[in-house]
Amino acid sequence: MKTNMPLSKPIRRYIAEAERLLDTEITLLRKPEAAPAGTLIDVYTYNVDKNVIIFPANYIGLLKDFVIAKQCTYLLVKGAAAEKGGYLVCSFNPESVYRGMRQIYLDALKDEVKKDKKLPVNKLIEMLFMLYRQFHEDISELPWNPIVNARVYHRMEQLRKTQLYILLKDGKKDMDEMSDMMEIIPRRYFVLDKSMFYARDLYLAKTLPSDKLMPVINIPQMKKFDHLEVKEMLTTRWTHTAWYQSKVFGDNMLEIMERYLRIDWNGEISLDYFADLYKSGVNMTNALIAYMTMKDWFIWEKPKHLLNALDKSEAYEREALTRIFGDLIEDQNVKGGR
Amino acid sequence: MPESQAARFLKRAESYLKQTKYKEALAYAGQAILLEPKNTAGYTLRAAIKSEMGEYAAAVADCDLALAINPNYEDALSKKALALYQLEQYVPALAAATRAVTLNANDASAWYIRGICLEETGKSEEAEIAYAKSLELEIILDIKEESRHVRK
Repeated sequence: MKTNMPLSKPIRRYIAEAERLLDTEITLLRKPEAAPAGTLIDVYTYNVDKNVIIFPANYIGLLKDFVIAKQCTYLLVKGAAAEKGGYLVCSFNPESVYRGMRQIYLDALKDEVKKDKKLPVNKLIEMLFMLYRQFHEDISELPWNPIVNARVYHRMEQLRKTQLYILLKDGKKDMDEMSDMMEIIPRRYFVLDKSMFYARDLYLAKTLPSDKLMPVINIPQMKKFDHLEVKEMLTTRWTHTAWYQSKVFGDNMLEIMERYLRIDWNGEISLDYFADLYKSGVNMTNALIAYMTMKDWFIWEKPKHLLNALDKSEAYEREALTRIFGDLIEDQNVKGGR
Repeated sequence: MPESQAARFLKRAESYLKQTKYKEALAYAGQAILLEPKNTAGYTLRAAIKSEMGEYAAAVADCDLALAINPNYEDALSKKALALYQLEQYVPALAAATRAVTLNANDASAWYIRGICLEETGKSEEAEIAYAKSLELEIILDIKEESRHVRK
């Protein structure tokens, strides 16, 4: 482990175990502009020669430890899958992009008919790939979140209160995400996206139920959550809001999560254990994709394929738009000319 | 009141430290100390730079220079605790962290170091209290940071 920052004992032990198991080295990096959830740049996914966990510079204590624990667990899942020869990621190619964007377009047309205020054509065109990418991003990340959180919760008791705070914070952020786009994107996609987060929060609320929000109630901003358990908090949040529609779909997604995540969260650290976690994540991802009828939107490929696809994403978008609109699409409507 | 040359050097040193340009940071902190040898901030900043460079014993020495000028300088105690922890001198690190939080109960970092040192010295119940206090302060800072981003 390469770091010059203080770390609590359990987290040092956890990193050491991960390094031993994967026969690798983990570098910890503090950066002011880092994402609050931290970032993992790993040798299994990217063209890099070392694993780096980056976390926000203002996280100095247990918040930092939790971000590291989460990213370290994610590294174990990826690393174990790679060691066992089966690490694939959710990727896309021109054909899958076309299918996804075409479906979004057809759904958007249905929505537009019912709207008083129509979306300008250029905005509608712009929205297709943006929404496709949003779902790609969410489906690539979201299923691993409950897996990593549940594992950390069960293995690192010392971080539970920190974890509860982060979960409440993340849940709020994910709930608010895209709310400014509510009137623009087809309702079906708005609801489906929210439902995924609803299901994740409810799953975590059920899986990590035993800690109350102490001691954070001493913080004025958290006072309103006094005496609420995290389950109650997350449930209340989702069922008393404008996203109530998400509940119908979200309950089904929650059922999917529960079906695919029947896991002994306290399992001993081993490559087989983490490779199994990876398999559960893949199966759950596929089930969620199928539930959202997006089966032909994405493909499982080697990480290199995804890096290449991300590089070529503008070209894929252009190609899909030309296939959907034919001669009707003018080049200036396509990214780069907008 | 116009900003002194030493204060300007300290700002530059801080800026280089943030950019992880330690050599430059060290040079400016050194200049500031030369200009104002009684300014405790110069020594603690140099201690922070040295800690980042992994020169923990030198960091402790700088903190001691600051504490010789002002024994109640909380920032120096906090940074000294951190450097001593890195040197695995948990008992003196704990003493420095404890004194730091006594002088400034809102130092999240000092509470955290105190927690780690208590854990290392087998006092896990006390460690839990220190961690809880550190977390509480960190969350307050995080909430403030979030609202700053929202306002932007």
